[in-house]
Amino acid sequence: METQRNRPSPSKFWSWFFPVGRQTGGWAYVLNRVTALGLTFYLYLHLIILSKLAQGPSAYDDFLAFIHNPVYTFGELLVVAAAFLHGFNGIRIVLTTFGVSVTRQKQLFYGLMFIAIIIILIFGIRMFTA
Amino acid sequence: MSKPHAIIIGAGFTGTATAHDLALRGFDVTVIERGDLCNGTSGRTHGLLHSGGRYAVKDQESAIECIDENNILRKIVPQVIEPNGGLFIALNESDLQYGEAFIEGCEACHIPLEELKPGEALRLEPNINPKLLTAFLIPDGTFDPLRLALSFAATAKKNGAKFRTYTEVKSLIVDGKGNVVGVNVMDRRLNKSQEWRADIVVNATGAWAGEITEMAGAHVPVKPTPGVMVAYEQRFIQRAINRLNKPGDGDIVLPQRRMVVVGTTSFEIDNLDYVPVLENHAKLMLERGAELIPAIANAKMRGKYMATRPLIGAGEGRSAARTFKCYDHKETDNVDGLVTITGGKATTLRAMAEKTADVVCSKLGIKAACMTKEVPLISYRRYYTMPN
Amino acid sequence: MSETKWNIILKIYRQKENEAPHYSEYKMEVDPDEYVLDAVERVWAFMDRSLCFRHACHHSTCGACGMRVNGVEKLTCITYIRDVTQDGATLKVEPLRNFPVISDLAVDMGSLYCRMDSVGARPVLPVTEAEIENPSNKWNPEDAKYIRLSDCIECGLCISACPSAATSSGYLGPAVLAGAQANGLKHDPALLELVDSEDGVWRCHSAFECTAVCPSFVDPARRIMNLRTQIVSERLSRLFRRKS
Repeated sequence: METQRNRPSPSKFWSWFFPVGRQTGGWAYVLNRVTALGLTFYLYLHLIILSKLAQGPSAYDDFLAFIHNPVYTFGELLVVAAAFLHGFNGIRIVLTTFGVSVTRQKQLFYGLMFIAIIIILIFGIRMFTA
Repeated sequence: MSKPHAIIIGAGFTGTATAHDLALRGFDVTVIERGDLCNGTSGRTHGLLHSGGRYAVKDQESAIECIDENNILRKIVPQVIEPNGGLFIALNESDLQYGEAFIEGCEACHIPLEELKPGEALRLEPNINPKLLTAFLIPDGTFDPLRLALSFAATAKKNGAKFRTYTEVKSLIVDGKGNVVGVNVMDRRLNKSQEWRADIVVNATGAWAGEITEMAGAHVPVKPTPGVMVAYEQRFIQRAINRLNKPGDGDIVLPQRRMVVVGTTSFEIDNLDYVPVLENHAKLMLERGAELIPAIANAKMRGKYMATRPLIGAGEGRSAARTFKCYDHKETDNVDGLVTITGGKATTLRAMAEKTADVVCSKLGIKAACMTKEVPLISYRRYYTMPN
Repeated sequence: MSETKWNIILKIYRQKENEAPHYSEYKMEVDPDEYVLDAVERVWAFMDRSLCFRHACHHSTCGACGMRVNGVEKLTCITYIRDVTQDGATLKVEPLRNFPVISDLAVDMGSLYCRMDSVGARPVLPVTEAEIENPSNKWNPEDAKYIRLSDCIECGLCISACPSAATSSGYLGPAVLAGAQANGLKHDPALLELVDSEDGVWRCHSAFECTAVCPSFVDPARRIMNLRTQIVSERLSRLFRRKS
């Protein structure tokens, strides 16, 4: 008499990213998942890049020269941004877990994101002007 | 011999309580409900566990039923009741005059009451109208309507009763002699018709009772009389607050969770399945509620709704007796196999079920005593967690 | 109630056991100050008798009428049409997520009630034990005789809104953890093992959607966080007790 459709299931992970009807905490949840996926992806990318070292120093230096352009710098900035957004979001979770600012978790989220964005901006300015 | 099979139409207060009673008496019980439990009048009940005080002057039969059942329900189903008591408060001379008849009536019906000075009443309930002249403390209470019915249903289910929800009765199966032998139903989950037979069909559809009996050419004098209630978003009181006067519009305020609910009114309707909440009635509730508890005037409304009482017998609206009646249609219309229980009120649901089960047993020649006064009811949650 | 009427399209999720899920649309005239449940009930009363939905008290005390209105969990009996749509628009009504659909808008919440029982969440609380945080609801604490029905109405909105509950069928869920918190780990030591588990408080990933949709101000998220604190301090004190 009942349908499987509406039951919880691991295959419904896509609903983690579904935007309709979200409020602040929900967006924080989405942000944490997106940044986590991005950072995981970058981790593997990073390992691939490091594997260039195995091909000798010149191969690695050539590669570094190749990625020395604004497009790749922007990519690096994205990694930095993901790390800070994810990290500060994590601080929100730790604080609320221990009862700090639970009833003001929205303000806490906005505050931490504000700090994260400032840091990302500083990184951005330094990366593009260096 | 196999168990006698009873079909109960309607899973409101009366239907679930009757299912509980008949299951205890050894019947094979099937309850048919077109929606989910309590989607009609029962779910939208005000929630006052009457002490009988309201009826002690004009309708002592109902009042005695109420105080007896009040005591029984407190014992068998405490998990859904707030037994905080109630106050009848007098705000003017006419109320004070009524007070004398009220004391006599309560004594005659053995309803315990205690007179309080205004100061004492205000100490108990600081938010009631400070201009009160006197107050009486009586053993009213409040209950959670859906969960009261669910508790009966859960216990019935534990004892073998089957609940067929989202199943609507389309017609009664009538044999050659005009007697009812079963029901034709539509399973609304599947859009599929089915035919079920039974030794007895109990019509426990309350305000809708007439629609069912009509299918067998029988008649019940039930007069559907809706009333409007309004809930406000603050729990100003812990006890049921009644106006000390003859029953009227908006003269009861009840605490419910974080709310108070003011009720009720009385009007007549054509279509039972959808009754609009009349705006002027909702406004009246605000005015009358604020007379009892002034802070209601500035409280935020939480919801307004209505429920349709199944009044029976002679008398218009408020003057009609609030007692219940069980009709054996063999006696009233010469239609065997069909029993209708209607009238009454939530507080007397168990007594209504007892009466109905007595009638059913005597019709079928079964000797089984009623046990519902003693058997404690199980958690309402079990209704949903037990397989059907 | 306002003088103006709105014409809206009510788009309702439909599902019978023997047919594929789909949406039915009903054009209707509504009063913007009616509740969403009134409109749904009128569809059943006047337009389509096959529509199944749950409802009982119509004033937010029973918890039967939870649905997703335009994608957000609402107790439809207290949700004004004015607040969720506009004249000429379409209003989408769907059953709660994360519960099996019985038919159309009606879902089977058996799992929730089972779990509420498993943590000993009580329907009626003695007032001395009941927490009241909203100061406007204060009463005289000296009179301990009072008993009140607890705030959680077991409507399932939080379970439907929770992204973690969508992917893990074993997760106890916000309402249940809130019930456990209201009971308190000190009152019931067996609760600790139940809530300090994979499917207990640690499955929560702080989306706070439960608190956002809760119609009874139970604030399940805060209660989950409080349980975590209780668990950590309980585990620590056990650790030190064993050492000494």
